[in-house]
Amino acid sequence: MPDIRSFFAPKGGAAAPPKPAPKKKEEEKKGRGKARKVVEDSDEDEEVVEVKKATRSTPKKKAAAPIEARGTEISTSQYFASSKTKPAASTTTSSTPKKAAAKPTPELPVRASPRSKPAAKPAPESKTKKPVTAYKKHVAHDDDAFVDDDDEDAGDDIFAADVRGNKRKKDDYEEEESDDEPLPKPKRVASRVGKKIKDESDEDNFEPEPKKPVAKKPAASAASKKRKPPVTDSEEEEEEVKKKPAAKKAAPAKPRAPRAKKEAEPEPDGVKDILANIPTIQAPDAPPKDPNWKFDFKNKGGGGNVGPAPLAGTVEIPEGEEDCLVGKTFVFTGLLKTISREDGQALVKRYGGKVTGAPSSKTDFVVLGDDAGPSKLRKIKEHNIKSIDEEGLFYLIRTMPAGGGGGKGSENAKKKREQEEQKAKEEVLRMEQEEKIKQAEAARAAKKAAAARGTAAPAPQPTVPLTQLWTTKYAPTALNQICGNKANVERIQGWLKNWPKHKKYDFQKRGADGMGGYRAIIISGPPGIGKTTSAHLAAKLEGYDVIESNASDSRSKKLVENGVMEVVNNTSLLGYFAGDGKAADVGKKKIVLVMDEVDGMSAGDRGGVGALAKLCKKTEVPMILICNDRRLPKMKPFDHVAFDIKFQRPTVDQIRSRVMTICHREGLKMPPPVVNALIEGSGKDIRQVINMLATAKLDQTTMDFDQTKAMTKAWEKHVILKPWDICQKIIGGGMFGSASKATLNDKIELYFNDHEFSYLMVQENYLRAKPNAIGGLGLHPKEQNLKYLELVDMAAESISDGDLVDRMIHGPQQHWSLMPTHAVFSTVKPASYIAGQFGAQPTFTSWLGNNSKYGKLSRYVREIHSHMRLKSSGDHNEIRQQYLPVLWHQLVKKLELEGKEAVDEVIELMDSYYLTREDFDFIKELGVGEQDEEKVNIDTQTKSAFTRIYNQASHPVPFMRATNLPAQAKKPSRDVPDLEEAIEEEDDELAVAEPVDDEEEDLDLSKDKYVKQPKKKAAPRKAAAPRKTAAAKKKEEDDDQDEDEDDDVTPAKAKAKPAAKPRGQPKKA
Amino acid sequence: MALIVDKHRPRSLDALTYHDELSDRLRSLAQSGDFPHLLFYGPSGAGKKTRIVATLKELYGPGVEKIKIDARVFQTSSNRKLEFNIVASVYHLEITPSDVGNYDRVVIQDLLKEVAQTQQVDQQARQKFKVVVINEADHLTRDAQAALRRTMEKYSPNLRLILVGESTAGIIAPIRSRCLLVRVARPTIQQVKGVLGESCKKEGWVVQEGLLERVAEESGRNLRKALLILEAVYAQNEKVTDTTPIPPPDWEGLIGQIAQEIMVEHTPARILQVRSKLYDLLTHCIPPTTILKTLTFKLMPLIDDALKPEVIKWSAFYEHRIKTGTKVIFHLEAFVAKFMRILEMYLMSMDM
Repeated sequence: MPDIRSFFAPKGGAAAPPKPAPKKKEEEKKGRGKARKVVEDSDEDEEVVEVKKATRSTPKKKAAAPIEARGTEISTSQYFASSKTKPAASTTTSSTPKKAAAKPTPELPVRASPRSKPAAKPAPESKTKKPVTAYKKHVAHDDDAFVDDDDEDAGDDIFAADVRGNKRKKDDYEEEESDDEPLPKPKRVASRVGKKIKDESDEDNFEPEPKKPVAKKPAASAASKKRKPPVTDSEEEEEEVKKKPAAKKAAPAKPRAPRAKKEAEPEPDGVKDILANIPTIQAPDAPPKDPNWKFDFKNKGGGGNVGPAPLAGTVEIPEGEEDCLVGKTFVFTGLLKTISREDGQALVKRYGGKVTGAPSSKTDFVVLGDDAGPSKLRKIKEHNIKSIDEEGLFYLIRTMPAGGGGGKGSENAKKKREQEEQKAKEEVLRMEQEEKIKQAEAARAAKKAAAARGTAAPAPQPTVPLTQLWTTKYAPTALNQICGNKANVERIQGWLKNWPKHKKYDFQKRGADGMGGYRAIIISGPPGIGKTTSAHLAAKLEGYDVIESNASDSRSKKLVENGVMEVVNNTSLLGYFAGDGKAADVGKKKIVLVMDEVDGMSAGDRGGVGALAKLCKKTEVPMILICNDRRLPKMKPFDHVAFDIKFQRPTVDQIRSRVMTICHREGLKMPPPVVNALIEGSGKDIRQVINMLATAKLDQTTMDFDQTKAMTKAWEKHVILKPWDICQKIIGGGMFGSASKATLNDKIELYFNDHEFSYLMVQENYLRAKPNAIGGLGLHPKEQNLKYLELVDMAAESISDGDLVDRMIHGPQQHWSLMPTHAVFSTVKPASYIAGQFGAQPTFTSWLGNNSKYGKLSRYVREIHSHMRLKSSGDHNEIRQQYLPVLWHQLVKKLELEGKEAVDEVIELMDSYYLTREDFDFIKELGVGEQDEEKVNIDTQTKSAFTRIYNQASHPVPFMRATNLPAQAKKPSRDVPDLEEAIEEEDDELAVAEPVDDEEEDLDLSKDKYVKQPKKKAAPRKAAAPRKTAAAKKKEEDDDQDEDEDDDVTPAKAKAKPAAKPRGQPKKA
Repeated sequence: MALIVDKHRPRSLDALTYHDELSDRLRSLAQSGDFPHLLFYGPSGAGKKTRIVATLKELYGPGVEKIKIDARVFQTSSNRKLEFNIVASVYHLEITPSDVGNYDRVVIQDLLKEVAQTQQVDQQARQKFKVVVINEADHLTRDAQAALRRTMEKYSPNLRLILVGESTAGIIAPIRSRCLLVRVARPTIQQVKGVLGESCKKEGWVVQEGLLERVAEESGRNLRKALLILEAVYAQNEKVTDTTPIPPPDWEGLIGQIAQEIMVEHTPARILQVRSKLYDLLTHCIPPTTILKTLTFKLMPLIDDALKPEVIKWSAFYEHRIKTGTKVIFHLEAFVAKFMRILEMYLMSMDM
């Protein structure tokens, strides 16, 4: 590091200050002690990482000088703005020191080195005392603005004054600026100036503008230059490294617009040229609208063209300038040839372009592929949008200058971005201010406390570096800091505010929003979008003291009832007492109970959900329940007891500003497209984004698009794919295409997403795919078919192989280690043969259904077999294959053909084989092919006659079915003829008789020790109902007792049923 | 009015019409008083069961014909309750351990020990021992067979076993060496015809020699099947002649249909259709090996001779896989795919 520093020394390294002013500073620094040094040290340490970059930047620096000299190559407004202003007022330049000062401060907490701790406080303070020389004054102002909260106002004023003072001067440069940079900013020139400059001064952290640093160096006062601590320098270098190629390349591509032109024009000439030269393609005419035409969802469900590109991997994706597509809006439609749509969209986004779904007048380009939707084609015609193909897109990327070429669109986009950045900056300021205040307060409190105790005030505590997680550190502290779901938070807040009022009305008045009728609310939504934070924030804003219970607490029924119930009737102690030296906050008496992660109440929390729901109905304090998935059956008890508030994922825009703020604050350089990618990649999970930033900050100060992609990929939440998706992905997902980067492990991984279903799904669907391997060879259709059959055969054989492996795994050997082998044979290998177009939704495996049907029918066969056993020889297979076809003819067919007359004969044959009426149905069901059950059509009259006649007579039963239960008690009740006759006489009694019969059995069983459980379930329900009506309000706590009582009650209840008694009694006797 | 196959079943060794030497051997065994463990094996429909029952009658007298079904419940070590049916007379038990699948060992252990440890109740009984007939012995698991080994020796004073199976292949050598092997071969066509004619006479049906011949052929010398076919033919037709068509059983008809479909079109889409039909057969309890075998033989007449060895080879290959695998449909389908491919290739080469 030192050598590099010396390398840069002439440009302002702190090591060798040649000018007196820096020297003075240096002395000051030394005088002030180590503190400052430490800060620098820490920065140096950090810079070590960047050594390489810094060195690389050197030649560029040299190059920069000549560029400046000529003054022609760089053409953006900033360039001139900065170079012109510098002599007049060094406001712009001062940004550099500011940055230097600002940077170390936020860094301190992160690098929690013990040495840096003491450094934190003195550093900013020292700066406020600095104003000695004029130049220093500027520095001071900026420092104030950024670091010292107390002086902020003043600093701002001065800053503003500065700006105002420079206005006149700037007016003329402004004109020049508009010359170089054909910016459409006609009216607001004056007002914008100040802002603009401020923007710029703020921007340099991340704005990819090469000019300023370059321009600054020669033009800015030497003093300011020298003063710059090395950090700044190397940082700039680094910035420049990135920008340099951009600037250089951009220069030739974009000839300067003639200075004379004052008007803002939509696109600079160079860009125009490029745009004109794009190889556009003619959008095919949209087919005429057919009113009867319906979208065939079955064959090409939504996004039918999203599949893999047929020729993927044949072209090289070009590299372009940074942000070269800024402000351009793209629409992708149809199936692109060489890159997948997803990749194409990612490409556009990466270069700052915007991708929308449908073409409109605002669309700049349509990237058109095959089979574009007719409505889109129509729109394209209508709006006369430029249609390009991938080639055109690549051309654009290759040729467009950085920053989008300064066209109208790109300028707008830039402006917007600047505004956003500005906002982020302000946020940072505010945040720092708050922190300061907090610190000051803490110090004051400490002092007070010390005074009260009569001891000397402790030495002002150095700022304790915050060791909090970023997610805590940057948790929103005000309503406007919340990303998305603002309305919901406001509702919660309003509900909390009105809670006491509603309570007065006993929650009878529902109020305008319907929330007045609820004592509790339940917040649901995906993780990481700030549910808990919102709840806490709303409580805090409304002055509630939060008591939280989450999944880390055991929340069983008992604990909820005992533990939480106590809380409910209490007030917070915070309303009466406070810590040392703090005034008790009277408003804090109220309590809000936050039950977090309610859906995390698991097996250990038996009855917890129910108890909680019960609690919601009578709680004396507001309750906020939080869960992820409201639709879980588990969450059902909360349906009418708690008001539902659903949190949605915030949009990217909503999160972005916050994330940018944090980046600023932490000194992490993140261009907006990168932030966007990060947010999207994480599924708009704010918490995850912040965590990712925190991780990134550990070893880098900037992130680019690819890093982001890699990081989001690494952080990707592992979503377990559904069997359908697995199947779709492995067969139709292009995983086996030549361009696919999926490794064998990736494919095996797919299998493991659901190892029980994936291979069954592949087996079910492999015949439905259109393999890519047969297309494109120019084969004769017949040859194609043969090739297809060959592939199918190989796939089938592999599946068959897989089954053998499966046997090794699930058979007696249990070789579970063979799972990957099974994955390859049963899923990956078959899919590799037939991978290709997979239009329709995969069908679910029919194996399971068929297997269970097989189970059922084989049970029938065994049943029939066991009945026929006395009469026939042969095992069940022989029964099925040889007897059943004949019996079917003699029984089923006969009944179908001959009707009622055959009934007697049929029954006689059945009796001779001890077949029951059920067996008759079984035989019917067991028919296949010609004898399929569905082809049998016995008319209802015959059927009922058959049933009636069969039931009239008693039939020989080959055996008694024994169970392990007291057989004596059961057998009589199973006596078939007895019951059957009873049914015959009066059909109505059938309904009565059966339930009664069940009842008897229950009673009989009551002697058995096993019976206790089922009765408990049934009994309380019946017994509870009358009780509730009789004794209007029984305490819930008695329920347990009730249940105990119910056991005793049952005999009485049984007696109450006269029907059951006479039947039950003789049996017991 | 049972079906003739059961109605006309011979009840005694004397009534048996074929395999006379075997009947004589069995008779002398039964009378000798030194009755060994027996292992009957032979294809289905050959008359194993009939001979066993006749032998038992020879052993114990008509008492063995009074049979009933007993349902017993066994408890496995994992506390699962198994319901198990036993066909029993006073003198013997008949069990089918493969009914309870993998738990057959439990049944064998518990039941045989129980039987073996109790002596014959009937003091008048001709024999001191009870006979246990074990059906589908070749489907017993290894464990169950191992459980049998010691029981057979230890309890031989009280217990004799008669194992019945289609082949001895599935039976472990130690068991085989403890038994007297009795092979019951299929009757010849003539013998089948004789039995059929006898039955026709008993039923008073017109005997059509040609038809009987065809039925015997069709049945593959499976006497049970032949009798059932005969019954079906007579039941379904008012007037039976030599040329009366013999309806195939439902499942065979369906397999024939599958064979036709396979021959008509060779495309993956057709495989899909075939798959659903195969599933149909499988769910309706047609054993996969039977399906494969029948399918192969239905395909045979439809293809050129040059292809036959190849097809047979793959058929055998996949039959083996059906036995070694678990999800039989995979293998059946693989066979169909293989067949289509072979056939298509063959046809293409013919075209060229």
